[in-house]
Amino acid sequence: MHEDTEQDRIAISLESVVKKYGDHTVINDVSLSVREGEVIAIIGPSGAGKSTLLRCINLLEVPDRGRITVEGNHVDAGTQISHKDLVRLRRNVGMVFQSFNLFPHMTVLRNISLPQERVLGRSRQEADARSMKLLERVGLADKAQQYPSRCSGGQQQRIAIARALALDPRVMLFDEPTSALDPEVGLEVLAVMRELAAEGMTMVVVTHEMQFARDVSDRVVVMAEGAILEEGDPADVFTAPAMDRTRKFLRAVLER
Amino acid sequence: MEHLSVVAQGVSMTLLLTLSSLLFGAIGGIPLVLARRSRLALVRFTARALIELLRGIPPLAWLFIIYFGVGTGVIELSSFAAAVIGFGLVSSAYMAEIYRGGLTAIHDGQWEASDALGLSHAATLVTIIGPQVLRVSIPAAATFAIGLLKDSSVASVIGVQDTIYWASHESTVTGDAIVPFLWAAGLYVAMTIPCAWATRLLDAKLRKRVAR
Repeated sequence: MHEDTEQDRIAISLESVVKKYGDHTVINDVSLSVREGEVIAIIGPSGAGKSTLLRCINLLEVPDRGRITVEGNHVDAGTQISHKDLVRLRRNVGMVFQSFNLFPHMTVLRNISLPQERVLGRSRQEADARSMKLLERVGLADKAQQYPSRCSGGQQQRIAIARALALDPRVMLFDEPTSALDPEVGLEVLAVMRELAAEGMTMVVVTHEMQFARDVSDRVVVMAEGAILEEGDPADVFTAPAMDRTRKFLRAVLER
Repeated sequence: MEHLSVVAQGVSMTLLLTLSSLLFGAIGGIPLVLARRSRLALVRFTARALIELLRGIPPLAWLFIIYFGVGTGVIELSSFAAAVIGFGLVSSAYMAEIYRGGLTAIHDGQWEASDALGLSHAATLVTIIGPQVLRVSIPAAATFAIGLLKDSSVASVIGVQDTIYWASHESTVTGDAIVPFLWAAGLYVAMTIPCAWATRLLDAKLRKRVAR
């Protein structure tokens, strides 16, 4: 892994990424690049490999082939990836999961402060101050001393977003962030994401929220069977998809 | 009643032996369970063999091996030290298995979130996974502790002056073969019931706070 100064306008690049589970190929030779400040929505039927692709970006899944570059830091599949490389790459990437994954044995404040202390070496006061600022921003400052179990799903997801943002990532990954939530509750999470997008955060969002994909994203990527079917401006993809498979998928989700 | 005051002399030793062995096991179980889940097959195998060996041999045999074998041939050991080491080793194996059960109860998402945040493996274990495992292990550990409290009576055989030792002593001195042991039985029950009650309370309290 080395710093790459020529590509500083590209935040994320995936080159010919292949991921297999045994004989089953989940990601089949996918390339994708994301510019700084761009918001990408990845849509497609379940089993298309959307989440796996997203998880390859921060190496929660280690690809079998290809190269991942995030903010100039490369990792090549097939080579020995050192812990240092992993940490350096992940330093720039925040991730939000479908199931929130807050730490249930810590208060909301500790959830956000502890990673800052451990990963960035911030002092307790510094970390707490930053945590409170982020909690205010997502509208949950009053929950600081509560345990996550006392918060609704939508609140937990907003806390999870705050926890990721506290580490000052340059890129945010969202893995179906509203899929575990009631539609109404999902809206408060989407509102936070819209705000983040408006502030220029680079975002890759795997989602079934077509409205969000259409309104907020700069580019929609349609995946099926481990490959990218098509990608483009949301207006084009939603109104005039190039592929039959995309049309079939969109009809299925939009006409529900 | 005259037997009770004699037999009750052993209560503090029973409690001390049980708590010391439990503490030994609670700490000793940690490296064992980590080794049991190691990425290296050899380490995994060794840990597993050790656990089976510790659990498969009766505590009394361990006490004899440690007290008469190690204790006289290698280093001088008091009967109490030998008992703590013996029960502590056996407890380490059981606690390792209890922790292993606790670990499987932890959602994968906890590891993934820690990885995604960039926490080191050690920090993840110490701050995220460990505390949750300890909490879910409480009921099983308490059941084990109650069993250990009763099993600790075996230590009287190597001369640890616990409750059953004093009951046996009193029985020999007075020639009463029943009553001293009935008192001992009553004392064991009096020790285990509050223990079970306290753990249920603690468990309920923690559960309420971190319920998912």
